[in-house]
Amino acid sequence: MAAVTQDSGVELRRIVRTNEEIKSVVATASRINLMAMNAIFLAKRAGQTALGFGVLSNELRRFAMDLQKQMALLREMTYGSVATVTALVKQARVNRVLERTRKESGGSGLTLIDEFMRTRHGASSVRHREQIAALNRRLNQMIADTAQLVELGSVLARSAKIEAAYGGPFAAALMQVSSDFERTIGTIQRSLENLTKQQDV
Amino acid sequence: MKTARVIFEEDSHKWIALVRDPNRPDYLIDTNEYLVIDNNDAILLDPGGNEIFPAVFSALSTEFDPRKIRQIFASHQDPDIISSLSLWLEFNPELKCHISWLWAGFVPHFGGNKETFVAIPDGGADIAVGNQRLQAIPAHYLHSSGNFHLYDPKAKILFSGDVGAALLPPGEDGLFVEDFDRHIRHAEGFHRRWMGSEKAKNDWCSRVAQLDIEMMCPQHGAIYRGEQVRRFIDWFARLEVGVIRG
Repeated sequence: MAAVTQDSGVELRRIVRTNEEIKSVVATASRINLMAMNAIFLAKRAGQTALGFGVLSNELRRFAMDLQKQMALLREMTYGSVATVTALVKQARVNRVLERTRKESGGSGLTLIDEFMRTRHGASSVRHREQIAALNRRLNQMIADTAQLVELGSVLARSAKIEAAYGGPFAAALMQVSSDFERTIGTIQRSLENLTKQQDV
Repeated sequence: MKTARVIFEEDSHKWIALVRDPNRPDYLIDTNEYLVIDNNDAILLDPGGNEIFPAVFSALSTEFDPRKIRQIFASHQDPDIISSLSLWLEFNPELKCHISWLWAGFVPHFGGNKETFVAIPDGGADIAVGNQRLQAIPAHYLHSSGNFHLYDPKAKILFSGDVGAALLPPGEDGLFVEDFDRHIRHAEGFHRRWMGSEKAKNDWCSRVAQLDIEMMCPQHGAIYRGEQVRRFIDWFARLEVGVIRG
C-alpha cells in the first residue's frame, strides 16, 4: 500500500511538471498570432517588392490560427488532467489514513480493515493505472499532433527568411519579423521536446 | 488509540463514548465521539475529523462492527465534527448523514452525494435507530447558526455538541465531571467566546430544562451526570455569552 501511495505521488509530480510545460507552450504560442498580423501589415507596406513574403505571411497567419486551436485543446486537456490529479491526491490521502488505521487496529478491527484494504487496493490500483494510462495516451497524441503542426510553422518561418532577402528597402524589417518567428517557433519546439521526454520517463 | 467506554446499557440499547487518545497530536483539539446502538443498529454522533479517524475507528471496532453503522448525526458543520465523513463512506457508501438543512449544501465538500444527506428542519426531527426514536433538539447559534443536539428518551442522555464543552488540562481530563465548580472554570472562556447569542442560549436553557436528562455528553471535555446537568443549565443561563473577555 505504501508503494502504491508513493507511485501515485511520483505520477502526480510528473503530471504537474507536464502541465507546467504545457502552460509555457500556451503562453509562447499566444505571441505567434500577433507576430503573424505584424508580418501581414509589413508585407502590405512593402507591396510589390515583397510579394513572396506576403504569400508566406498569410500562410503564417493561418498556421497561427491552427496553433491557437491546438493550444485551446491542450488547455482543455490540462484542466482534465488537473481533475484526475485531484482525484488521485485524494485517493492517496485516504490510503495514508487507512494505513494509519490498520496500524492502530487490533482483533476484529484489524481483520476488517485488512480485508477492506485488500479489496479496495486491488480495485483502486487498477483504476489508477487505467486513468493514468488513458491520460498519457491522450497527451502523447496531442503533443505529437502539435509537434507536427509546429514543424510546418518552422518550414514557413525559414521560407519567410529567404523571401525577406528579396524585400528591397524592407529587407531588414522583414528579416527581423521572420527571425522572431523562427525563434518563437524554436522555443515551442524545445518545450514540446521536453514534454515528449517527460512522457517517455 | 482512543478508549471505547460504555456509558449506558439496558437491554439491547447502548451508548459508547470514544474518548481520550494519548497519541493525539497537541495541535488537534480533543474530541469525544459517541455511538448509540439499539438492536444491532447504530448511529455515530459527531464522528470527528479526518486526522483522528484511525483512533476513532480502531476504538469503535473493539465494541461494534463499523460496517453496521447506518447513520451519522452531525451537530453542525465544523471540520472537527464531520470532516471524516468521506472515510466512513468508504466503509458504507449507503451511510446517511443527518445535519441541519443549512449545511446540507456545504458539508458535501467533505464527501458524500445527494443521497447521503438527510436535512434536519430548523424545528428538529426524530431519528429512528433500531426500535428507538432519538430527538434532534434545536440548538441554533450555539455555536453554529444551524446546530442540533440529540436527545435519547430511553437512556435519558443529551448529546450536547459544543454546549458543556471544556478544554481540560492534563491530569483533569477524566471522562466524567467529578467536581463541578472546579470543572466549570475550564468551560467558562469557551462558552463566553463561542456561544454567540444570549437569546439562543436562553431558548436552549428553557428547552432542555423540560427534558428528563441523566447525562449530558459534550463533544469536548467531560460528561455531566445527575444533578450536575441541572447545575450546568443554571450556570449557562446566568453566563454572559458573545463576548471576547468576560
